[in-house]
Amino acid sequence: MKKLGTFHIVFLLFLGNFLAPGGFTDLYAQDAKKNSVRLKADYVKIMGGEIYVNIRATSKIDNQNIDVPNLEINVYNEYEDEEIPLGKTITDSRGKSKFVIGGLQAIKPDSTNTYNLGVSFEGNNDFKRASGSVSFKNADIKAELITKDSVNYIAATLSDTFADSLLAEKSLVIQVQRLFSPLKIGEEFNFTDENGAILVAIEDGIPGIDGNLNIEVVLDDSDDYGTVKAIVNAPIGKPIVEESSFDQRTLWSPRNKTPFFILLFTGGLIFGTWGVIIYLFTNLVRLTKS
Amino acid sequence: MINYDVLLKDLAPKKFSKRGMTWVIFLVIIIVAGIIAYIDQLRQGQVVTNMRDYVLWGIYISNFVFFVATSFVGSVAVAILRLTKNPWRTPFVRIAEIITVAAIVMAGITIVIDMARPDRLLNLFIHARLQSPITWDVIIIPTYMVISMLLLYFPLIPDFAILKKHFEKTKPKWSKWYGKLSLKWTGSAAQKAIHAKSIAIISIMIIPVGLLLQTIDAWLFSTTYRVGWDSTNFAPYFISGAFVAGIGSLVVVIYVVRKAKKLEAYITDFHFDKLGKLLVLACLIYLYFNINEYVIPLFNSKKADSEHLKTLFSGDYSIPFWIVTIGGLVIPILVLLFKKGRKPFPMLIAGIMVVIGAWWKRYIIVTPTLMHPFLPIQGVPESWHSYFPSLHEWLITSATLAMALLIITLLVRYLPIIPIQRTMDEQEMFKTENIAEL
Repeated sequence: MKKLGTFHIVFLLFLGNFLAPGGFTDLYAQDAKKNSVRLKADYVKIMGGEIYVNIRATSKIDNQNIDVPNLEINVYNEYEDEEIPLGKTITDSRGKSKFVIGGLQAIKPDSTNTYNLGVSFEGNNDFKRASGSVSFKNADIKAELITKDSVNYIAATLSDTFADSLLAEKSLVIQVQRLFSPLKIGEEFNFTDENGAILVAIEDGIPGIDGNLNIEVVLDDSDDYGTVKAIVNAPIGKPIVEESSFDQRTLWSPRNKTPFFILLFTGGLIFGTWGVIIYLFTNLVRLTKS
Repeated sequence: MINYDVLLKDLAPKKFSKRGMTWVIFLVIIIVAGIIAYIDQLRQGQVVTNMRDYVLWGIYISNFVFFVATSFVGSVAVAILRLTKNPWRTPFVRIAEIITVAAIVMAGITIVIDMARPDRLLNLFIHARLQSPITWDVIIIPTYMVISMLLLYFPLIPDFAILKKHFEKTKPKWSKWYGKLSLKWTGSAAQKAIHAKSIAIISIMIIPVGLLLQTIDAWLFSTTYRVGWDSTNFAPYFISGAFVAGIGSLVVVIYVVRKAKKLEAYITDFHFDKLGKLLVLACLIYLYFNINEYVIPLFNSKKADSEHLKTLFSGDYSIPFWIVTIGGLVIPILVLLFKKGRKPFPMLIAGIMVVIGAWWKRYIIVTPTLMHPFLPIQGVPESWHSYFPSLHEWLITSATLAMALLIITLLVRYLPIIPIQRTMDEQEMFKTENIAEL
């Protein structure tokens, strides 16, 4: 009887291991715990261009922030306790995704004229479900190039579209588009005046292809308005003189730009040799006939 | 002195013996295995090879370079000896021409095998850039192939006429074929003049074309800035290496053909002695260039080159490197320097060592350099860090070698392996000289 009691206890302990969370199951690598994902969404509006949300997925693994690729993200419009789906997107190898919104007319603002967008991930074998959101109001930047006393300026005005009001005391960044990172010009902070306007002088001699500069006026990552960007094409730069061998006859150029000495030397060798070969073939014919 | 009938009986093509048939079947089996492997490579792509991002030239290119080198024997043994009027060349000159044709044909086929998309072969011509050594290679190989075939064919024409007559009664079908190939040769003065002139032209032309072929092959490597390849010494180094590979192959094939066809009366110890001297000369020149290539950089090479040399001298490739250098070059030199070493059998052993050494030498030239890229190898699977050919690569490469041997075997079977007309002319001349002396 005593032996039977011991058996029961052992049996229950054994069974309990399967029932209790974190029993033997911890031994299996396949069931390792899932990691959390952090979703960050940023709103970007290009005046006269795209309106989109930049989404970034990261996860803290072994005390390091890792970008999470290949996550399917749902994007939706939060409106009066309702989630209106806008579409899906997948993060790239850097954990980033750009979700383009057709236009602001495609989404609905709340009573304060604030747009609320949500992003969510349903979870998978490796990562837990996650969500994030971004809220913004609609702002416009009107920018133009003006010239006063032979000095070029960028004049820009920032306004709230719904409130139809000019936004004062907001910092705008003026920069020239470049391949890797933009070239900032003007003061470090260009605050708008009571008319929501700024006037920034553009110095001479900034290089641009054919003298064209793409000057950006940016309201950068504003709490209320997100990022709003206006791009002005200004033909006031110093034309870049390209010192390229692209159109020259070089060893690395395409076939129609082969250097003449190679054409002549190699061509001479080929035609000379094959000329003799053809002569030898004619000799074979002559042998038959003689 | 051998009379005309005996000469013809000895030198006219004969049926394969049992051994010959077994040899052909053996080669065909290897070729079929290689063809199956190649079809699988075409189906699955070059993933079946062990070539990856770093080692993208593997055993196929090594094998290609070996074939190109071996084909140089046509320029050396035939053309140079013909132009320098060395009469002892006669018994083996045709074998050299056959090896040249077989080797250059297989070089062309091997380079197609190395292409992942052989269906795009024409693009090499359509999109050719004359600045590229690859384009020069694409042009020079068919050129050398045609010249080699002409070099083989022209001297054969009088022999075909002799064989036409010889087989007229016994084998009329053969006689008909030999007749067609003889181009109605009658031996008239006009024909002889055209014939002699054509052979002289080919003999002259094949030397610069052969040198160009080896040089272009070397430039394929030396124009790439890679450690181990970026050397101004490479072209002469390749030419001397080709000299060794070609003569080495010739010695081995001559020994086997002499034995199989019982040609001891025609290819004598005297000829082996002469060939042995030629081979040892080739090996000594090659050794000189090897010293230039590997010893001098020990004193002045930069870090990457030093690493490469370390890999060869004491690293991963040291065993094949030293086996090739000592077994494929130094020992054959030591053997061939002595008269006893230039007897047929020691010559065969030395020839085999030289040929095997020549093949592995190309492998050592191609692969270790690719393991030393400009940037460190990182962030790639472990298997990409090293290279050894896959089973597919071995099967296909073995098949190409077997194909070359099969071409040689079949040509040896159907062609008079020693020039009949020339041998007769030489004996006639010898007789006339003797009579004149009397």
